[in-house]
Amino acid sequence: MTGYSVPVHASDLQLAASICQRDRKAIARLIELHADSVHRYVWRRLTPKTDLADDIVQDVFVAAWRGMKTYSGDASLQTWLLSIARHKVEDYYRQTLKAPLESLETDQQPLFTADSVDLDAALDRSRQIGRAAKTLAHLPPGYAAILRWRYWDGQSTRDMATATGRTEKAVERLLARARDCFKTTWMKQEEEST
Amino acid sequence: MIDEIIREAELSSEAPKRASSRLKSRILSTLVSLQQAEGSLRILSESRDHGEQLCVFEHAVAILPSEELQSRNPCAVCHARLLAEHVENAPIYWPGCPYARFCEHP
Repeated sequence: MTGYSVPVHASDLQLAASICQRDRKAIARLIELHADSVHRYVWRRLTPKTDLADDIVQDVFVAAWRGMKTYSGDASLQTWLLSIARHKVEDYYRQTLKAPLESLETDQQPLFTADSVDLDAALDRSRQIGRAAKTLAHLPPGYAAILRWRYWDGQSTRDMATATGRTEKAVERLLARARDCFKTTWMKQEEEST
Repeated sequence: MIDEIIREAELSSEAPKRASSRLKSRILSTLVSLQQAEGSLRILSESRDHGEQLCVFEHAVAILPSEELQSRNPCAVCHARLLAEHVENAPIYWPGCPYARFCEHP
């Protein structure tokens, strides 16, 4: 062991150095190399509200440019950019959840808990996936966002509560209602298709 | 269960393979403006020495004796930039043009 490590992404480091020296041709190369993957990532995470994807992608690149001096070359530039994108999408989730939380909260108890939702046995898997995408697209943005944030990102309810300025209990209630809405919409679509 | 459905749904949703060329062009223009606000841009002959390809206009600027002129952004006055920002896959064919590299041509 030598006690030090050499950055593994030397070409990325060189590109970052050129960008820090205000080389606009290098900026163009950064966009050419990575805008597609960042856009795909953001677009998928925002579905069905993809109209905001372009704005968020632009924010990602502006943030990356501002923080380029901190890029160390330990991870690839693509990984680094995608981690910025992840934070930007989380910011969007946070904003989306802050606004509609109150309107989505009611005193009613959810009809279903996470454990009681068992659709696996009833449905063919391929149909299930297609319908799940459709179901998500029909949910209110707040519900879709909280389900993605919780189950896709694996964000804990405690962290979500902190990020949105709510109690953990309130977030759990909202999650329960989002699952409930997911289930109801899911069943409605099944009725319509039969 | 729910998490799996959502995960699969996300994976199966058809995201476009490419970001639009207009978006890329707008990002480039924004970032270059930010670069300029911070100070002089790297001079074009240095960019070329670092392996960057220059367009025909940039080549002309790069042979100018003044570093001050070389550090300007020639795209600011080029119609290719305007086209690229507003037209998807704009018909720009100059090799080395930073905006042309975002456009897909058959």
